[in-house]
Amino acid sequence: MNFALLRLLVLREWRHHPWRHGAALLAVALGVALAYSVHLINSSALAEFSSAVRTANGEPDLTLSGRLFDDALFERVAADPGVQIASPVLEIDTYARSSDGRRVAVRVLGIDALLAAPLAPALWPQPVAGEDRLVFLDPDAVFLNAAARSALRGAEATADSRPLELQAGAGYTSLRVAGNVAAGGTPVLVMDLAGAQERFAALGKLSRIDLRLVPGTDTQQLIRRLALPAGVTAVAAGVAEQRVSNLSRAYRVNLTVLALVALFVGAFLVFSVVSLSVAQRTPAFALLGVLGLSAQERRRWVLAECALLGAAGSAMGLLLGAALAAAALRLLAGDLGGGYFPGIVPPLQVGVLDTAVFGALGVASALVGGWWPARQAQQLVPAQALKGLGSPESTAPPAWPGATLLALGAAAAFLPPIAGLPLAAYAAVAALLFGGVALIPALVHALLAAAPVGGVLRGALPLLALQRARFQRRTATAAVAGVVASLALSVALTVMVASFRVGVSSWLDAVLPADLYARSAGSSSAADQAWLTPDFVARVAQVPGVTRLEASRLQPLQLSPDRPTVTLISRPLSDPAAQLPLLQAPLPAQAGEVGVFVSEAMVSLYGAAAGSLIDLPLPSGVVPARVRGVWRDYARQFGALVMADSDYQRLSGDLRLNDLALTLAPGTAAATVQQALRALLPDPALLEFASSAQLRQMSLRIFDRSFAVTYYLQVVAIAIGLVGIAASLSAQVLARRKEFGLLSHLGLTRAQVVAVVAGEAAAWVAAGVLMGLLLGLAISLVLVFVVNPQSFHWTMDLVLPWARLLALCAAVMVAGVATAALCARNAAGRQAVMSVKEDW
Amino acid sequence: MLQLKNLHKHYGPSPIFQGVSLRVARGEFVALLGESGVGKSTLLNCIAGLDEADGGQVLIDGVALSGLDDVARARLRRVQLGFVFQAFHVLPHLTVAQNVGLPLRLLNRLDDTRVAQVLDAVGLGELGARLPAQLSGGQLQRVAIARAVVHAPGLILADEPTGNLDPTTADKVMAVLRRQVQEAGAACVLVTHSAAAASAADRVLRLTPLGIEDAAPQPAA
Repeated sequence: MNFALLRLLVLREWRHHPWRHGAALLAVALGVALAYSVHLINSSALAEFSSAVRTANGEPDLTLSGRLFDDALFERVAADPGVQIASPVLEIDTYARSSDGRRVAVRVLGIDALLAAPLAPALWPQPVAGEDRLVFLDPDAVFLNAAARSALRGAEATADSRPLELQAGAGYTSLRVAGNVAAGGTPVLVMDLAGAQERFAALGKLSRIDLRLVPGTDTQQLIRRLALPAGVTAVAAGVAEQRVSNLSRAYRVNLTVLALVALFVGAFLVFSVVSLSVAQRTPAFALLGVLGLSAQERRRWVLAECALLGAAGSAMGLLLGAALAAAALRLLAGDLGGGYFPGIVPPLQVGVLDTAVFGALGVASALVGGWWPARQAQQLVPAQALKGLGSPESTAPPAWPGATLLALGAAAAFLPPIAGLPLAAYAAVAALLFGGVALIPALVHALLAAAPVGGVLRGALPLLALQRARFQRRTATAAVAGVVASLALSVALTVMVASFRVGVSSWLDAVLPADLYARSAGSSSAADQAWLTPDFVARVAQVPGVTRLEASRLQPLQLSPDRPTVTLISRPLSDPAAQLPLLQAPLPAQAGEVGVFVSEAMVSLYGAAAGSLIDLPLPSGVVPARVRGVWRDYARQFGALVMADSDYQRLSGDLRLNDLALTLAPGTAAATVQQALRALLPDPALLEFASSAQLRQMSLRIFDRSFAVTYYLQVVAIAIGLVGIAASLSAQVLARRKEFGLLSHLGLTRAQVVAVVAGEAAAWVAAGVLMGLLLGLAISLVLVFVVNPQSFHWTMDLVLPWARLLALCAAVMVAGVATAALCARNAAGRQAVMSVKEDW
Repeated sequence: MLQLKNLHKHYGPSPIFQGVSLRVARGEFVALLGESGVGKSTLLNCIAGLDEADGGQVLIDGVALSGLDDVARARLRRVQLGFVFQAFHVLPHLTVAQNVGLPLRLLNRLDDTRVAQVLDAVGLGELGARLPAQLSGGQLQRVAIARAVVHAPGLILADEPTGNLDPTTADKVMAVLRRQVQEAGAACVLVTHSAAAASAADRVLRLTPLGIEDAAPQPAA
């Protein structure tokens, strides 16, 4: 390839059509920016979150963890010859009261500072000036990390600072802020272990023991030797971080796949723009071919153009992506709407390898987009092209590649998840999309073959349209493919989001039957410290206007060390079929057995199908429970179980409660009841209230925020599809300029020329819309019935929002035809008349 | 059939031609010579109603083009005019027969017999089913001539029809054009640089910036 020639011709072409190539450049840049920014946000947030976990947990060789187990285990463990250091820890999730009266979620770590320091240096208490250097032994002293200091403005560690109040049950306990700790992440408070055990009603209890082993110790033998009590598990180094990663993995992968869709549509725009550019430059290619440029060189020339376009677009995209990620991290705090990284404001972390990969993806997408036009440039016959005679496409395009891809896509949709992710389902979606697009040439060929033959067609305009489409099948195919690809993606996303939203909405109706809800803790992990007494609940039931009251208790249960906790909900359960959104009728209760109802995630993650037995590590010990039914839960992705409160209280002896559902008498103001309930508490802030309407509104708002990126992608896909249609039709119209000129000489008016082009476009866009709709519906089935359950472990019913789908189709149809008419209007003007003077 | 009255045309301030007056009767074959850039093709476009003259009148079969709107002009072209171009302009995606039948289809008068008859007349009777890519330049121009006469127009406008052909083929094509014009009883205005082509005409005129003047027939080169 002659680079001087390439530079001359490429730069001239780009300078000649700056907007068109600018649009392709922008499409690649946007695709790369979106994919790269999503990746950066996810990886930065995950790295920060993992780092926070690492600093808070330290770097032990092994951790023995469980739910408040007896600290007698510590003596045994510390005495084992294989253990070099054993550090006992009590973890308490609770609330601190800020100076302005707010409740701030904090994690209290009760440690033996001297033992913890070698394993978790970030937890070493640093007394402020004026404090004794051994103040960390003071059971009343507490040390705050930066996030806690920031969240609890005013709780600065000064000698005369006010006490810090932490919620312990239905009241508060006061501690003195004596210094700081270096641990990162969410608000963490470090205090002496004995003090924490005493203050938080956990005397003789531990949450975990971090171990440093004597070098050469066999971990498995050690675990066997320790004979850990039920409910305590040994967790190897890195598992906690793995658990953090697993927490958001499906969400991150889904976002990344969606972002890659943007790159796919970017590739399509490159295809459209380069196709048009090649069509326009056919005479130039033909002339250069005559002058000695080989077919291979013509192909390489077009591909080199695409590579340059991709490289420039990628460079812009990487810069834009980094800027977007930095802004999103600052504004959304790494959350991206998913709610997986609360309280984390991670700094942007850019990796060289990741940057290179996303840059290469941008270039690759441009090359993929340019592959077909490059082949067209390669295959043109210079002599024929110079005469304007082209070469007819006589052979029928093979249908088997597209059909094979569709079959593979359909088959892949039935495969199970790989490594817990719906990778096969994503492959199915890609295969369906590419298969559908690959099948278009054969379908277009079949459609044209089925059309009446020339002799039968008496009118000049239908004959011209049909014969041209037959002669230049590839151009028609390109226009249809643009419509199919963009519409299929939009239809699939529309159906998936609508199905999910309707599902969530119906589910909210089922799970929010009461008028007013109150809760003591925002999460199940804090439910052990922020709770309500049975006495308080009994008094609430007496509040005027309250006709019915249901109180429930939440408990986090660690069923697997490498998975996030599941939530155990104990509540009155007199009629499970009416009280829970069950998927099937409940199995009958068996005498002598504890029955539970599990969410769908429990079935996917723990195999807890209806009828099976599951071991529950309750505070009182491990209890086997029979699964009586499966219910739909869109709130807890990692699993939840519902148990009758009578069973739970009998098994655990735990009478504490967390959530209240209040049904009010008609005409009772919710605000009045809220006020009455608050008056019953020592601190009004101990309860959070929300009406069912507020909860519903908030849930749907969170849902819409989570799916905001899909709306953006739909808009981008449709916009790029329309630009693609415009470019394809422009290429067609351009190639037919002389034909229009001739038709003007033969007596066709400009309006007739525009009408014939608009009519043709309408026929092709309609065919594309129909195929795009069908393909989109097929892809939506995979998204709804495979990708979602495999990603998030919940199912939903298929909802087809026909009004929106038809509006989408109509918009594409109108936009396609209008674009074609505009192109034809320009092409059928005086320039067309003059074009008959040009050599073909 | 064709009457031009004091036609003139400018591009910007520069006159292309002015004071062009001409009458061409049915059955008459007029050749129009002129230097490059003198406006021969522009004059043909003005005659066809595809370009507007800045002054003067064009009358075809007594109908003044200036009184017609775009649609009426298009209809008039469809019925009354036939075109032959230097670059053939046959549509590559239509067969030879479909190309020739195009004017009849536009008039909703498709007549396969007539198409076959005209193709026979131009010596392409056997090639109706072929695509243009399979024809030589001379054959393509004969297709264009057949298309120009198939609907029996009153006026044929030929713009350098032999410009892309070798002398022998050009002679044959001109003979075909001459014969077809005669048989159709149409008027023909032939724009050409070629003295040989002009020699087939009944009358040879020269277009200059100042108007049209008679030109003595040149000996064939």
